[in-house]
Amino acid sequence: MFYAVTIALLATMALALARAIMGPTVYDRVLAVNMIGTKTVLLMSVISFLFGRPDFLDLALVYALINFIGVLAVLEFFRVRAYDRSGDSEADGS
Amino acid sequence: MTVVFSMFLLTLLLITAIAVVHAGNLFVAVMLSGIFSLLLALNFFLLDAADVALTEAAVGAGISTVLFLGALSLTTDREKSPSPHRLLSLAIVAVTTLAVIMGTLDKPSFGDPEAPVQVHVAPWYLETTREAIQIPNVVTAVLSSFRGYDTLGEVFVVFTAGIGVLFLIGRHSGTKPQDIGPPHGEPSGLRHYLIPRLIGRMLVPFIMLFGLYVQFHGEYGPGGGFQAGAIIAASIILYALLEGEKRALQVLPRSVLVGMISGGALLYSAVGVAGMLMGGNFLDYSVLLDDPVKGQQIGIILIEAGVGITVTGVLLSIFHAFAARGRF
Repeated sequence: MFYAVTIALLATMALALARAIMGPTVYDRVLAVNMIGTKTVLLMSVISFLFGRPDFLDLALVYALINFIGVLAVLEFFRVRAYDRSGDSEADGS
Repeated sequence: MTVVFSMFLLTLLLITAIAVVHAGNLFVAVMLSGIFSLLLALNFFLLDAADVALTEAAVGAGISTVLFLGALSLTTDREKSPSPHRLLSLAIVAVTTLAVIMGTLDKPSFGDPEAPVQVHVAPWYLETTREAIQIPNVVTAVLSSFRGYDTLGEVFVVFTAGIGVLFLIGRHSGTKPQDIGPPHGEPSGLRHYLIPRLIGRMLVPFIMLFGLYVQFHGEYGPGGGFQAGAIIAASIILYALLEGEKRALQVLPRSVLVGMISGGALLYSAVGVAGMLMGGNFLDYSVLLDDPVKGQQIGIILIEAGVGITVTGVLLSIFHAFAARGRF
């Protein structure tokens, strides 16, 4: 059961990674990073039960808390950028 | 099965690394390096290296992204056109790769019980930790007691890096105070965004509490000074993002941060010197108290506190150095 969940999570991560690399807009990538972060939290929880080490759940907690800071930093970055070039359209990725 | 998962994650890691190099847009590269860090931490986690995964979680995914974005707000989105020495770089990279691959051929295979790492000092660490220090997390015992010198060196590396960054971009005389900060009196930070501000403010004390838990629970579970320092710094960075950098500087002024940078390293060294004065070797904690086991534990708690203080101070100083230069 845990194996099935792990494989499903890994597949989701691979798909999110594909979206992060392909783009096309910056927001796709931000969402993809966020999604991979969430999947990392889930995967860590599942693996810590798979290994029988529930004390490793601490790490999943750290990720859940720290991911939020990254998202806020991205928001702040875009807010500052919007002042710097007001009226400019958003960067469209590579 | 774990090996299969590891291989899969390593493949994703490789793809991400190539994508980071390939990305022309620097913001995309920052986002992808965040993914790289998450995947790397998962790999460490699968290999049972919970302490390393925790460090990667706190530093790689959290703080580096924030610092990269801070650096990016000082520069442009686009990578400069590549240098003309591309063939030379390619040759150097190819030769280095070949050398590294040749080096790995001599290594024992993964999980080999006869590998030097399993039979050299590791058994001694495992046994001695149980008798002499009596803490469950052997990693913390190795890091702070058996290998105390190395960790002292690491703390001074962090210290030197912090001082270096402050010299390069910390104080600069060219800009007047009104030049920095968002224009038209617009308050910095996400103060006008109700939901992030409300949720973020609720999270700050919990992140800090969790950082303290990681700091003082390092002997029993994954964690220790490096991780705790990064988590506590992350909580203050969150506060700075929500309320603006100036409010965060009112909470922890620059002078306090500089004091923390040197104070932590000093505390670590002082514990070592205290051991010498009480008749032991440098960084020998057994002599600190009458009971050698208790002495070891007290020494570990003290030096972990020193590590945590220095790491918090350095990370926050670097963040403020970037924030004061740009409008981040």
